[in-house]
Amino acid sequence: MYAKTKLEDFALFGGPPLFDSIRSISNLVRPDIDRFLAYSRMFFEDECYSGGGRVEKLLEARLASFHQVRHCVSFCGGFWALVLAMKALALNGKSEVVMPSLTYRRLADIVAWAGLTPHFCEVDPVRLCIIAESARPCINDNTALILGVHPIVNCCDSEGLEALSVESGIPLLFDSVESVYETLNGRRVGSFGRAECFSMQSSKLLNAFEGGYVTTNDDALALRLRSARGYGLDAEDGPTLPGMNARQNEIHAAMALAALDGVEQQVELNRRRYERYKTGLASVPGLRLVAFDESERNGYKNIVVELLGDWPISRELTLELLHKDNLLCRPYYSPALHQKSTGYAMVWGDLTQTEALAKRFLMLPCGYFLSEEDVVRVCDYLRAIQTHGATIAQRKESAS
Amino acid sequence: MSGLPSLAVFGAAPLFVRPIPAGQRFFPEWSQYEAMFRDIFERQYYTNHGPLAQELERRLADRLSVRHAMCVTNEFIGLALAGQALGVRGNVVVPAHSFIATPQSLDWTEGRPLFCDVDPKTGLMTAELVAPLLSQQVVSAILAVNPWGDACDVRELQALAEQHGIPLYLDSAHGFGCAIAGQPVGSFGAIEVISFHSDNILGACEGGVVCTQNDELAARVRNMRSNYGMGPPKPVVKTGNGRMSEAQAAVALFNLDRYPQHRQRNKRVFEVVRNGLTEIPGLSVREQNGVSESNYQNLICLVDEERFGLRRDDLCRILHAENILAGRGFHPTAHHAYAASHASSVGAMPQAEHYADRTIELPMNHALTERNAARLIDFLGSIQRRSGVIRQGLAEVA
Repeated sequence: MYAKTKLEDFALFGGPPLFDSIRSISNLVRPDIDRFLAYSRMFFEDECYSGGGRVEKLLEARLASFHQVRHCVSFCGGFWALVLAMKALALNGKSEVVMPSLTYRRLADIVAWAGLTPHFCEVDPVRLCIIAESARPCINDNTALILGVHPIVNCCDSEGLEALSVESGIPLLFDSVESVYETLNGRRVGSFGRAECFSMQSSKLLNAFEGGYVTTNDDALALRLRSARGYGLDAEDGPTLPGMNARQNEIHAAMALAALDGVEQQVELNRRRYERYKTGLASVPGLRLVAFDESERNGYKNIVVELLGDWPISRELTLELLHKDNLLCRPYYSPALHQKSTGYAMVWGDLTQTEALAKRFLMLPCGYFLSEEDVVRVCDYLRAIQTHGATIAQRKESAS
Repeated sequence: MSGLPSLAVFGAAPLFVRPIPAGQRFFPEWSQYEAMFRDIFERQYYTNHGPLAQELERRLADRLSVRHAMCVTNEFIGLALAGQALGVRGNVVVPAHSFIATPQSLDWTEGRPLFCDVDPKTGLMTAELVAPLLSQQVVSAILAVNPWGDACDVRELQALAEQHGIPLYLDSAHGFGCAIAGQPVGSFGAIEVISFHSDNILGACEGGVVCTQNDELAARVRNMRSNYGMGPPKPVVKTGNGRMSEAQAAVALFNLDRYPQHRQRNKRVFEVVRNGLTEIPGLSVREQNGVSESNYQNLICLVDEERFGLRRDDLCRILHAENILAGRGFHPTAHHAYAASHASSVGAMPQAEHYADRTIELPMNHALTERNAARLIDFLGSIQRRSGVIRQGLAEVA
């Protein structure tokens, strides 16, 4: 009933948009307001608004327990959490960070803020992520750190990378922003490597307005990160090391706690959306849904599809159609980081595979604003593109 | 211990049952807070330059008479983005007496601090003190500080910077609402950064604003902070993240609306304490410097050990025990903190040392009612009168 039946139905060709308001890849989950207010009451009564307040401490304890790890250190954002964790862990006198190029668009900038140099490695073509075999050839005398990054769906090779870290003596840090809820062989993400970093920006699984955190089993590292986020001062306000202000404020911490309280319910809704996508896309030729490994715990938030060889139109044109119909989809990590120009040095070798993969995937709408019924409409819409693909391409070409 | 004066530091009951905290701490009443956040939850716009952040930026640009007022996560990140946008490199002159954040912000640029001592009369950096540094060394910028609702030698420093063809930018953490000869603090230098930490008069829990009149610098700061599609992104060395959330913007807007009342309250208490302390030898409230209008947000005193009879650190310890959470005013002070954390030496800064050793910051917030202020003044007077026996007592319990 929702399908666009003829060309003119597509917004790109003059039809009304499929949705009145935007459906995007941002989560924007709304935590329970009463829980948020109850947590807020704590800092309100203490008149403590930032920096080591009761709410932040509770959040850190809850997140440590959620990730089954000894320490959680919260920050004003995942960006600065990563910068400070990299600075703390990088080997002295070395400068390269081994990391994937097919990843978050700002990740190389984060490495540059930490005063280090990205050294891009290939990714596994099936898992779309860094694995020990792809990282190993990039390790050299100047390697300071291995940065394992979890892909959008499922996890990277955390165990393989841990073995590589032991074998090479190079510290291992994870960017686990997309894998908050996940397990790997039954073990919660959060305790792998020396530390793992997470974001709680409102587009992520946990919405804290803005925020981020680092988990670790390393007592000394946790202490050092607590100091670094508060100007590098120690408990007696004595200077110990270079730092900055990257403190989480108490309102954001209250929001994070309310979001954490609702995470099981949210994941259940995400799983249902994912199931709808699975059913809906099964009958759309040319698209392959990147499947979650259902033997593990998953947040099921992100929906990624691969455009196969028989998909009738280019990814760019597909995106143009989707955007006009208020489906704010994004290409999956494209361009890859080494393909962008930056004001700092980067190192890479042959990344043919990454470059090919950067052209093929697409992230579909997901999150709190997307009803199960919406998912059915999105799938029907994609089926309509597939049906009319040849005509769409012709029409577009003759128009240009 | 029976011969000891009856003070909390020696085990007596504290003067105040509930601690009088440091900092301004202006915050909505609970019902107002609840209404503000029900609105935000209703709108479901949480961050990324939402309607409240946009309104705040508009109103700040207007209030501060600047073309660009860009709200950020906190003042430190604002200073780091400012240094990056200006492309500072090598020596940057900073005052030796400031909070550690000032020189530390340069760690996040290509710059490094070249410390300048401060004026013995004001504790502030002056053009006269900076000038010799500029002729002795290659300097890429001046990062001046307007602390405590005061202003340093901004116009003269601006002239000096222009003469040397280098930018002046300002850490005006405490400066919201102040004016220099009628012109708002926030509108000076190439870039000026103000803090919205809750210790300040315009609190947002954490937060800050980066101000500039220069379109090019503004575009660079925005691109690093997050541009939200406002104009074509200007190339920068690297982007960062300095977003202010709707939650922070909501609290800032609340305090912006009430600025006149908050300032008036500060001024009243400031005057009560200033007048009260005139009777106490060796303890005086620091008068405003360099501003035509102050926000009176900081109650800074200088302790003269010889006349007061106790060292600043002892007085601080005594006050804390009485539940008066006085601060040591830029402790650890900039050049010490920087040298210690970077294991480097920065040379002698005798005037900065003088201020660093004697400055005490008394609380200035709703807990310091006029009645509590009067009790505090009486208490400080009694400490001074008994300083001899207290000093002995402190030595005994140590």
